[in-house]
Amino acid sequence: MNCDECKNLIGVFMDNELEETQASAIRMHLAACTECAGVCEDLASILDVCTTEPSSEILPPNSQALWCRINNIIESEIKPPPPVEQPRRRFWQLSFAQLSAAVLCIAVVSSLLTVVAIRNYTQPKTDDFTTRSAATQTTFEKVLSKVGLVDTPQQARDRRLKEQQAAIEYWNERVQSRRVQWDRATRDAFDRNMQVINDSVNDYTMILQQDPEDELSGEMLDSVLNDKMNLLRDFADL
Amino acid sequence: MICRSKNRIGLSASTKTTILLSVVFFFVCFAPEVSAQKKFSRAFPTGQNVRLRLMNRTGTVTVVGWNRAEINISATLEAPAAVIVPQSLSGEIVINIVRDNQGRNEVGNVNFTIRVPYDAMVDIETRIGNLSVSNVRSSLVRARISSEGDIELTNIISNAVSAENGLGNIFFDGEIQENGSYRFSSMRGDINLRIPFTSSFRLVATAPSTRNISLGSFANTNMNYLGDGRRVVGRFGDGSATITVTNQRGSIGFLRR
Repeated sequence: MNCDECKNLIGVFMDNELEETQASAIRMHLAACTECAGVCEDLASILDVCTTEPSSEILPPNSQALWCRINNIIESEIKPPPPVEQPRRRFWQLSFAQLSAAVLCIAVVSSLLTVVAIRNYTQPKTDDFTTRSAATQTTFEKVLSKVGLVDTPQQARDRRLKEQQAAIEYWNERVQSRRVQWDRATRDAFDRNMQVINDSVNDYTMILQQDPEDELSGEMLDSVLNDKMNLLRDFADL
Repeated sequence: MICRSKNRIGLSASTKTTILLSVVFFFVCFAPEVSAQKKFSRAFPTGQNVRLRLMNRTGTVTVVGWNRAEINISATLEAPAAVIVPQSLSGEIVINIVRDNQGRNEVGNVNFTIRVPYDAMVDIETRIGNLSVSNVRSSLVRARISSEGDIELTNIISNAVSAENGLGNIFFDGEIQENGSYRFSSMRGDINLRIPFTSSFRLVATAPSTRNISLGSFANTNMNYLGDGRRVVGRFGDGSATITVTNQRGSIGFLRR
C-alpha cells in the first residue's frame, strides 16, 4: 500500500469500517511510513476532541438572530436608491384659500392692535374730561368718536359726573350717619359750605344745559364736585 | 366838710359794693370757662429739612418761623379738651387731632401756636378755623381748610405753595421762586396775592362767578381774558413759575410788594 491509498482510506479506517485485510495493510503502512502515521495521529486527535466536547457548545446559534444579523449586513452593504426629489413649491405659490386666510389674519390682527393703541393713547386725562368741548376736537378725534373708539367730550363729562356722583353719595351717607353727633357749630359750618357748593353746582349745570360747549363751566363743575366730595370726606371723619 | 366826707364815704361804700358784686358776678359767670381751658406745650429738637404736619379739627393754627433748630408747639384746648399726641417720625413732626379724637362726639377748639425753624416744611390742615403761616423759607408750604376760615401766608419764600379753603379769604405775601408752583383756591372769599414786581410766572386765574380779577401792576399785553372775563391766562416776565388761582364765588387780586 502506498501513501495515497493510505490517506484515502484512513478516515474509513478510523471509523473501523474497513475489512480486516485492508485494515491490516494500513496498519503495516503506518508502521513503516512516519508521514501517514502523523496524519493518522492528527485525525485521531480531532476525532477525540469531537467526541469529548459537550454537545451544547457545538449547537448552532439561534437561527433567527443569525438571519437577522445576516440581513442587516446585506442591507447595509446594499446602497439605498437615491431619493426622488419632490418638486419645490415656492412660498408665494399659495392656494387661493391659504392666501385669503393669511390676508384676513393680518387684517384682524392689525385692526386689533390699532384699536388697542388708540384706546391707550388717545384716552383723555382725568383733567381733560370736562375741559374739552367738541369745538376743540381734532378731526382725527372726531372720526374716532364717530366710530366709537373714544368718548366725545360730552360722553366723557357725563361719565365723569356719574363717577363723582357715586362717590358723593357714598360719602354723604357716611356724613348723614355721623352728623347727629356733631356740635351745632360744626353742623352749621358744614351746611353753609355745602350750600355754597350746591349753588355753584346748580349754576354750572344750568350754564352747561344752555351751552354744552362751555369748557370753562365744565371745568369748574368738575372742580366744584371735587370740592364737594372732599368736604364730605373730611367731615365723615369727625 | 362833714357833709362832703360823709358823701365821699357813702359813695365809696356803694362803689365798693358794686365792685365786689361785679367781681363775684365775673367769677360766677366766667370762672368755669377759664378753668375749662387747658394748655399744652411740647418742644422737639430738629435737624435739617424737618417737616411739620398738622391736622386740626377746629380752632386756629399759627405757625411762625424762628431761628432755632427746634419745633415748639403750644396750644390752648377748649373744653371738652381734645387729645393731642404729637409724634416725631424721622424728620417729621406729626399732630393729628382728627385721628386722635375720632369717635368723640364733642371736641373743643384747639388753638395752636407753633414755632418752626425757618427752613421747615409746613403742611397744616384744619376742618374749621383760621390758618396762618409766616416767616418760612422752605421747599413746601401747604395750608388747607376743609370748610370755613381764612388763610394768611406772610413772608413766605418757597417754591411750592398751596392754599385752599371753602368760605374765607386767602392772603399770600411772599416771593415767587423760579420754577415754583403756587396754587390758591377758594369757594367764596377774596384771594389776594402780594408779590414782588420782579417775579416771573405763568398765570391761570379764574373767577367764574364774579369775574373780578384784578392784575394791578402785573397787567400786560401777555395777559389774556378768556370766557367773557371769567379767566385770565398769561405770562409775566419769563414765566418760569406757575401760579394757579381759582375763586368760585369771590375775587382775585394782585398787589405789588
